[in-house]
Amino acid sequence: MIPKSIAEEFDQCIKCGLCQATCPVCKELLLEKFTPRGKIQLARYYSQGDLNLSDHYRDIFAKCLLCGACVATCPSGLDPKKVFVGMREEIAKEKGLHPKMEEVVRSLVVHHNISNEDNAERGGWRDFLKELPDHMYQKDKAEVAYFVGCVASFFPMAQQIPQNLVRILESADVDFTILGGEEWCCGFPLIGAGVPEMVREMAEHNLEKLRKLGAKTVVFSCPSCYRTWQEHYETDVELLHSTQLIERLIEDGALRLGEVKATVTYHDPCDLGRNGGVYDAPRKLLKSIPGLTLVELENNRAQSVCCGGGGNLEMVDSGLTGSIAQKKIEEIKRTGAETVVTSCQQCIRTIKGWARRQKADLTVCEITELVLRAISND
Amino acid sequence: MISTSVRDEFRSIVGNEWFLDTPEDLATYSYDGFLPEFRPDAVIVPGNTDEISKVMGVANRERVNIIPRGAGTNITGNSVARKGGIILAFHRMNKILEIDPENMCAVVQPGVVNADLQKEVARYGLMYPPDPASMFVSTIGGNVALNAGGPRGVKYGATKDYLLGLEVVLPSGEVIRTGGKTFKNVSGYDLTRLLCGSEGTLGIFTEIIVRLVPLAPAKVTLQAIFSDLDDAAKTVPAIIGSGIVPTTLELIDRVVLDVIRDYGGAAFSKEAEALLLIEVDGEEVSVEAQGERIEKFCREKGAIEVQRATSPEEADKLWQARRGAFGAIARVRPNCVVDDATVPVKRLPDIIRKILELADKYRLKIGVLAHAGDGNLHPCIMTDLRDKDEMARIDKAMLEMYEATLAMGGTLSGEHGIGIAKDRFMPMQFTEAALELMRGIKRVFDPNNILNPGSFL
Repeated sequence: MIPKSIAEEFDQCIKCGLCQATCPVCKELLLEKFTPRGKIQLARYYSQGDLNLSDHYRDIFAKCLLCGACVATCPSGLDPKKVFVGMREEIAKEKGLHPKMEEVVRSLVVHHNISNEDNAERGGWRDFLKELPDHMYQKDKAEVAYFVGCVASFFPMAQQIPQNLVRILESADVDFTILGGEEWCCGFPLIGAGVPEMVREMAEHNLEKLRKLGAKTVVFSCPSCYRTWQEHYETDVELLHSTQLIERLIEDGALRLGEVKATVTYHDPCDLGRNGGVYDAPRKLLKSIPGLTLVELENNRAQSVCCGGGGNLEMVDSGLTGSIAQKKIEEIKRTGAETVVTSCQQCIRTIKGWARRQKADLTVCEITELVLRAISND
Repeated sequence: MISTSVRDEFRSIVGNEWFLDTPEDLATYSYDGFLPEFRPDAVIVPGNTDEISKVMGVANRERVNIIPRGAGTNITGNSVARKGGIILAFHRMNKILEIDPENMCAVVQPGVVNADLQKEVARYGLMYPPDPASMFVSTIGGNVALNAGGPRGVKYGATKDYLLGLEVVLPSGEVIRTGGKTFKNVSGYDLTRLLCGSEGTLGIFTEIIVRLVPLAPAKVTLQAIFSDLDDAAKTVPAIIGSGIVPTTLELIDRVVLDVIRDYGGAAFSKEAEALLLIEVDGEEVSVEAQGERIEKFCREKGAIEVQRATSPEEADKLWQARRGAFGAIARVRPNCVVDDATVPVKRLPDIIRKILELADKYRLKIGVLAHAGDGNLHPCIMTDLRDKDEMARIDKAMLEMYEATLAMGGTLSGEHGIGIAKDRFMPMQFTEAALELMRGIKRVFDPNNILNPGSFL
């Protein structure tokens, strides 16, 4: 049964259809069932007993980035994303997991990470760093805990992010630690897979480890981990995205930035910007780098268009992710900037991966890479 | 019911992928922006004129109803299968075929989104003036079918004023062309204009030639606040009558201003009973002078506060209240009935007074938004469909409002169309002879009554 709070959302839908204006998925797939309005109505028909959950239903609701563009567009102020997540949950309950998500869920249950590897390997990204301190960034106690996240821990294309961030934190003399093999997935992919009840176990484990560290702040380089903690973890500890912490360090004078001559544009990751409310920190940070020029994308801040990598979509339909990524790349190119900067490993993977496949001449750069370059230039 | 062999015939025309009849597809083409829902028998998503012609040939032979649909944003129930049949959806025919700056026109397929066309032609320093509130999603095909207007209508008119020609598939499957790229064109009956606003009942547009105008180099935006709604309403004909033609002249009443404030929008002065948002466009020198004159008018007519934007950012700020108005209204109650009764602009104060009186008499929450400059009202009735008693009161109030509108020389609909929202009121505006003439036209185009049947006729 669909919970009442979700039913309230679709009862308020006036079927105006304005959500079609910003949904990246329905712009590609065209048909009404793929629009946010269509999905909301399908949720309503199901809840009224008009239609049964089918494999077709599952396919429709899987084709969503959970990017929240519809939330920002809806004139009635609905939260369609809540309906879509609720429907994924309902479908998983009634019909089992989406076949394409079975593997990742199994990996999370067995290994507590998304990549089906031994969780002890979480700190593998450190192997490439020169001059590692003895504690290898894993201490018993620290002021700040850095929650690295699965993608940046295991995927070679994203491992540069923790490598950069630890260098930045070091140079600002921040007392920080990672959780290493004790870090479990935050649970975010489980929400997209429709099994949010499993998040609790992840949260309890991670919070317990955090208590032992005595950290007052947790910093995340992954916007989705950041938001999952904010929404699903019960804790009074301060939660910061890396851009927020770095911006604070710059303001406090703990970090000094040298010149980086470049014209860049900034892509707001959905989970950091629209869904997490962090727009200013990355911009302030970029503007504090001498010599750097920031040109905004046509659609920025709350209007930012998803890169195509959200909502577990790539697992289900990588071709669809590709066509959405292509539009993102075109929008980036229209700015005339040679580099796109963003602050999410998933956006980096998607944009960089598809730019490469399309042989697009574009530099994709995670924000920490730029900060590190500025620090070295000081 | 459509037989299996006929379904197969449709499939062979458009391909399996674009003939849809799963329960999920039928359900999601059972609604538009209006209230009642009707589940169609199938959905066809054609790729070109030839396919549509063939589809119509089969449909006409088999007497299968065909209902054209753009983005499904109309609020008069014009893109639903009221008598069963097949929804013809134009998602794939969404190309801008040509932008022709020398001839100041563009040729588009029906599924092109209005705002996408606006954006493209702006690169040539041109503008497509019709700007319905749904412009970011609604299609040019749908705009033509409903003769859509918008806030810029005061100065620029509606879709019919920018429609030069059409390629049309008739219910028989024959393809005809009307009009062309010339502005002047008086050969024969004006079929282009007849088809514009025909609400999908006469033919299917497959190519549309629209007229473009130069994008104005400058604009001035003003906001005037009045402590008396009547003063605001009287200011409107005063401005229009003075020889200034604003691009936009919008009115928002107290009920709506309060709703905007309650839902996180701007808060206005306590005495504010009405707000006018006025915009003029043109050459910089002339819009500056017009802006000054309008400001003076507003003050003379009793405005307690007038703001003139001096930058695009400030103008944007002034627009925020109007832009957010409908959304705020939509949040108040589960449903919202938006009407578009329209009167000659001089009667604006009278009709607004009448609406307030009706809100009081029938205990309804009605907010008044209006494209005031052309007498086009958008009273928004905030309601709950499940409340039968209130719905009955709304019906009575609407009837009285239309009586008043028509008595003032107005019309049932300024820009939304009739559809199934107002079909029952048509005899109030037209004599039987006029209605029979319309039915006759329908019979000539569509003798088997297969195109969007169950409409206003």
